Amino acid sequence: MLLELSRISKSFGPVEVLSEVYLAVDAGEVCALVGDNGAGKSTLVKCIAGIHDINSGTIAVDGAPREIHDPRDAAALGIEVVYQDLALCDNLDVVENLFLGREKLHGVVLDDDAMEQLAAETLDSLAVRTLRDLRQNVASLSGGQRQTVAIAKAVLWNSRLVILDEPTAALGVAQTRQVLELIRRLADQGLAVLFISHNLNDVFAVADRIAALYLGRMAGVVNAADATQSQVVELITSGRSGAVGLPDPNGVQS
Amino acid sequence: MARPATEELRRRNRSALLDQLHRRGPQTRAELTEALGLNRSTIGALATDLSESGHIQETTGRSTGAAGRPSTLVECVPEAETVAAVEVRADRVRLALVGLGGTLLARAEVPLEPGADGPEAAELAARLLADTPAAETVAAVPGLVDAGVVAQSTELGWVDRDFRTDLERATGRSWRVADLATAAAVGERSRGDAHRSPNLLYLHGGRGVTAGMIADGRPRRGSSIMLGHVVVNPGGQKCRCGLHGCLEAEMGTFEQSATIEATTTAAWMGDTAAREVVHRSGGLLGRALGSVVTAATPDEVLFGGWLRELYLSSAAAVRSSLAEATLPQLRARLRLRTPALGSEGPLIGAAETGFEALIGEMR
Repeated sequence: MLLELSRISKSFGPVEVLSEVYLAVDAGEVCALVGDNGAGKSTLVKCIAGIHDINSGTIAVDGAPREIHDPRDAAALGIEVVYQDLALCDNLDVVENLFLGREKLHGVVLDDDAMEQLAAETLDSLAVRTLRDLRQNVASLSGGQRQTVAIAKAVLWNSRLVILDEPTAALGVAQTRQVLELIRRLADQGLAVLFISHNLNDVFAVADRIAALYLGRMAGVVNAADATQSQVVELITSGRSGAVGLPDPNGVQS
Repeated sequence: MARPATEELRRRNRSALLDQLHRRGPQTRAELTEALGLNRSTIGALATDLSESGHIQETTGRSTGAAGRPSTLVECVPEAETVAAVEVRADRVRLALVGLGGTLLARAEVPLEPGADGPEAAELAARLLADTPAAETVAAVPGLVDAGVVAQSTELGWVDRDFRTDLERATGRSWRVADLATAAAVGERSRGDAHRSPNLLYLHGGRGVTAGMIADGRPRRGSSIMLGHVVVNPGGQKCRCGLHGCLEAEMGTFEQSATIEATTTAAWMGDTAAREVVHRSGGLLGRALGSVVTAATPDEVLFGGWLRELYLSSAAAVRSSLAEATLPQLRARLRLRTPALGSEGPLIGAAETGFEALIGEMR
């Protein structure tokens, strides 16, 4: 397993947001993380990304336990996060955004040609045909194109696990399709993808496995090929579905 | 078996070298030596031979970043051999002229009158083709195709139409006729993302729904799978084929092929009627697909034509009903994907069929 979380707990003061959460994501697969508002999806992502320190539990990468205390630790392990707000600079062009903070130098000056070529190759490998001009400002791009740039930026850095926080939430129907195909292609090219979404259609369209969080606990992880929509809805809303789920979904712990 | 004569061996190696370059793109001589398992000097002689006949050229290309002289790349000359691929759809006829190595050299498109018959479609193909110097000509037609005869096509409304003869009369050339879904499957496997799947199922959504199959890396002999005429609701809606409760009739395929974009957009915006249509169609598609997966055990299923839009908008319904209609062992490693080549798949695949014959004949 590329990433393996076991018994992760996280509290903010007296509020326990995550309780003994487990999750594993392997290279070449898309794992979808679903759950109601407040189930702890974003907190879990921030723990993996090094924004929050965990209170207890272990995060293992390639089977070895790792300490992740800040985003740089996560990046060094090949973990990249694409947040909902994308964190792109509107006044810079596509290439400048892709290389922001990690510009290639030729002596003391920027190596623009090399950066543009590498950007074009990356976008090409992802079969991105929607970006014609790599020198246009990001401000002029559509929502889907911006999402594509943000994802390409995450992929460009030899990352091994890409975490996408609600990447289709603000997109139209045609752009959502393109982003879903892009997500699937990332995994088919060997990356591990953790995909957070509210939309079960999007989840079923790309995910290999579906992990459902319920009130800060992992209600269950099911194979997308074996799951039905109603099963996943039950896991999200009640923490249980048939034989899968929490033994005490009302939150009472012995 | 007697040892093949030197000349025959040389011809076989020539064809193998060309095939390798056509499929895998530009390579160095060292890479070719490795891939074909031939002697370095043999590769050298073959390369000289093929560049004299104008099939390949050597360029100083790729720098490896290492010090020293950049290695020369061997690549196909696209214009040396060309294949013309024609796609016949309900409303248009498209042509692509593809060169050796898979380079697209030219393309053209003309509208087709609704309800046009074989000779009319062949006439348009002839006009598009004009005096194009193609060594092979291949047509892709949606429906049940057997040895040049279109036995049944819901999309075109043809029954037992000898389309190959129509084409040969109109153009004076010899033709191969493939079914569109199988051609697309060939395209996706050779030039798309599906090269890892020896058993590939391509679903084509047009005015009708058909499926093409690659089995053990080879296009399934015979014709397409009539997915649209799998009965999903016995005694249900009467289909244009005469049966009742076919997938096509129950989904309203004929109308949906034109309205899918509007329907999925409306569903996405929250229109309950559109949501119901999308959800129901996805469920029916999953159920019909379940029968085919159970019978044909593919590794990968591609949703082509308007089924791409339907799948991405109703994947939860498709997968839920597929999970209810197949054995866990059959669906565990089944990959559901959308085609990487999009609407170009059938043309690219038809051209590949032509190249396979062309390179095979050089042997």
